[in-house]
Amino acid sequence: MSSAPIVKPQRWAAFRRELFRNVGALLVAMAVTTVIVFLTSKAPLEALTQLLTAPAAKVRTIGLWVDDIAKLTITGLAFSLVFQARQFSMGVQGQVYIGAIASTYVVLSPLGQTPFGLALGVLAAMAAGAFYGFLPGFAKARLGANEIVSSLMLNYIAIELCNFLVRTALPLPQAGVLTTIDFPESAVFPALVDKTRIDLGLIFAIVAVLVVWFALYRTAWGLKLRLVGHNARFAEYAGIRSTFIMVSAMTASGALGGLLGAMFVQGQTWGKLTVQFEGGLAFEGILVAIVARSRPLAVPIVAIFYAYLRQGASLMNVRTDVPAEVIGVVTAIIILLVSSTFSLNFLTRWFKRGPAPVATAPAVAEGATK
Amino acid sequence: MTALLEAIGIGKVYPGGVVANDGVNLSVQAGEVHAVVGENGAGKSTLMKILFGIEQPNAGQLWLDGRPVGFANPRQAIDAGIGMVFQHFSLVPSFTVYENVVMGSEPRTGITFDRQKAIAEVQALSDKFKLGVDPTQPVRNLPVGQQQRVEILKSLYRKARVLILDEPTAVLAPQEVQELFVAIRSLVEQGQTVIFIAHKLPEVLQISDAITVMRQGKTVGQVKTKDVTEHSLAAMMVGREVVLRVDRKQTDQSQLVAACKGVRVVNARGADIISDLDLSVHAGEIVGLVGVEGNGQSELLEAISGLRPTVEGTITIANENISQMSVLQRRERGLASIPPDRLADGLSTGSTVAENIVATRLNDRRYVRNGLLDLRAIKAEAIRLIEKFSIRVGGPAFAVGTLSGGNMQKVVVARELAEQPKLLLVNQPTRGVDLGATQFIWRTITDARDAGTAVLLSSADLSELMALSDRLLVFYRGRIVAAFVNHPDLSPETLGTYMLGLKTQTADEMKAALK
Repeated sequence: MSSAPIVKPQRWAAFRRELFRNVGALLVAMAVTTVIVFLTSKAPLEALTQLLTAPAAKVRTIGLWVDDIAKLTITGLAFSLVFQARQFSMGVQGQVYIGAIASTYVVLSPLGQTPFGLALGVLAAMAAGAFYGFLPGFAKARLGANEIVSSLMLNYIAIELCNFLVRTALPLPQAGVLTTIDFPESAVFPALVDKTRIDLGLIFAIVAVLVVWFALYRTAWGLKLRLVGHNARFAEYAGIRSTFIMVSAMTASGALGGLLGAMFVQGQTWGKLTVQFEGGLAFEGILVAIVARSRPLAVPIVAIFYAYLRQGASLMNVRTDVPAEVIGVVTAIIILLVSSTFSLNFLTRWFKRGPAPVATAPAVAEGATK
Repeated sequence: MTALLEAIGIGKVYPGGVVANDGVNLSVQAGEVHAVVGENGAGKSTLMKILFGIEQPNAGQLWLDGRPVGFANPRQAIDAGIGMVFQHFSLVPSFTVYENVVMGSEPRTGITFDRQKAIAEVQALSDKFKLGVDPTQPVRNLPVGQQQRVEILKSLYRKARVLILDEPTAVLAPQEVQELFVAIRSLVEQGQTVIFIAHKLPEVLQISDAITVMRQGKTVGQVKTKDVTEHSLAAMMVGREVVLRVDRKQTDQSQLVAACKGVRVVNARGADIISDLDLSVHAGEIVGLVGVEGNGQSELLEAISGLRPTVEGTITIANENISQMSVLQRRERGLASIPPDRLADGLSTGSTVAENIVATRLNDRRYVRNGLLDLRAIKAEAIRLIEKFSIRVGGPAFAVGTLSGGNMQKVVVARELAEQPKLLLVNQPTRGVDLGATQFIWRTITDARDAGTAVLLSSADLSELMALSDRLLVFYRGRIVAAFVNHPDLSPETLGTYMLGLKTQTADEMKAALK
């Protein structure tokens, strides 16, 4: 069959299938959320309106949304990198804290007052994060330590180290406050849009997407990484040192985690180091990476949607009687549906049979409230 | 006479553009054993999946009892009286036979499981069809042949009239094959209909009444078994006369390429797998490693390719000791290797054909410069090899996982022979590969030999070794116990006595063939 024309695989068709699948999962999740809000809230319509419209309502809230997009993109990329190498390092959170600590020490030193303060802070954060990502990789390669366990433990160490340093070693504006003094103006990311949190971090996120994509699909390292992820035994047989790839993937991912740490403390959000500044965002990169199927170009798209939901939920939390935890339900359902192959068939059949999932939701809600 | 089950004009295109079935016709009469034969990738399995409701056809119509039918899922096919036994069984090992059989449609009294009734029903079925299975045994205690019959019982219990057996003999020993055939005859005598998917033609001729031949997604024709011979059937399958024989050139075999001296390899517990082994391979010759599996042939090839440490001794390529080098360093010195299990070791099925082809050459300046991939050069190389090795695939960007078994193996062979290697290691090159691809792979290995490559070949198939090798070394418990220069008078029986350790040659006897 050598005469057969060389054709490309139907990428568009695959993309549409994925899109349909993910949008379907989102619709189901929103339907369930609607039911829950109707069951628990005294003013359900108000709560849902806040969830669905609040992030886009004002320039300030759009700023919050965009800031979340940038940060979720970075953590999504960090997880995508290790997932593509089939390593299940959960260490992004720890890298964020270690990166933030490194950045703080550099920025609050005399170096921070110089014009290079901003860049040095970011580089220090990335180096520290890379080292922190390297640790579980090295432990796995040399000692056979399970990377899930070791990276999770390292997360706790980093969080408590940050806690300890803020309480004991770092300069505070007054006693008893759990935040450091403000960073010098020159070391804080400039805002791209005035009076919002949209800052230099957005540029970093865009650059990171391109760099990670390029590294994975255009370099020999990236091809080796993906081959190790698909079949490590084959990689060994082909002469690829899979342990080196594994450790380097975790190190590179760690650098992204460290960068995220700098984006938190040097960004418009804080401009200083505080305890528990990251608010659990780092771990949400797992969701972003899973839904994006660990593909770097899909990560920001997923982040746009997820950041909107995240901000919607937090604004709903502030303004109505529905707690932000409701978004955990959305997250859980999306992960369930997207990560199971079951969802596709189930959704296709559902759509073929008739009623759209959103239309069925109120009926379910009525049935349940009786 | 109308057919019991008919498929007319079935077409199936998988996402990704692979045409698996194209105008396939099948007509099965009630009470017959109907064999469906074809090479790997001919579309047999796809057709069976359509009959059983796992896949839906894009075109065509199924007829059952003269009525048009369509199965959206296996449940509907089962309800219509179709049962299927896959190559890989779906049984719960810790459950008993009767529990496995009735699972999902258990007889009940009230809300409790009526075990006595279940045992009695399964026993009755087993007796009726002479399957000889004890319903109260746990499945994990049963040999493979019996487990297969438990699968058949599952279908019968669900009132199947048509049984589809997907390559049932592939997993069975010869003795068990005969037992299966007894069971199949008994099924047919009592009015069941059997569709039998197969590879091995002698078995097909022995058991079937009618044969449908498929090739490249199309039906070539349907014949009565009594009208055909093995040879004419093979010709129908591959579309040409098959000659499983390779012509070999005279080659200059004077130049030593690789040698093992005093090689010792141990297993995980430190016990010797190979002890004090000497052998040599010359340019332009194929040395066959003969032996019952597990006597050190595979381990020797792994030690030479660098996947297994060499504890003692030296392995040289062109007089350079490679025994402590990395896999990559060995490959750079002209080593290539075709591993026994293409899915586990030889390929990354989730990656594209091009990525698989270039995976062993990621430090070659033609494909990688300054750490960057030259995608154009990689694609061109992939297209060159796809054409040279007639790999059936839409293009270099398709995932290897979408290819049939024979074509996957061709990707491995293409990669390893992309450049003329000095030393080629080959382990089970044609395991699970159809006739056409086997012939092609044999030809390819022989061409490499003719061009001056030294080849070490290990295979469980004695006829393969005898067809290809210049010299044959017999392994028994990690040592070479006999050596022969291949010639037409050498018989499998002679080799067999040495393979089983019944006889051992003296050093003088071996000398001539050890070089």
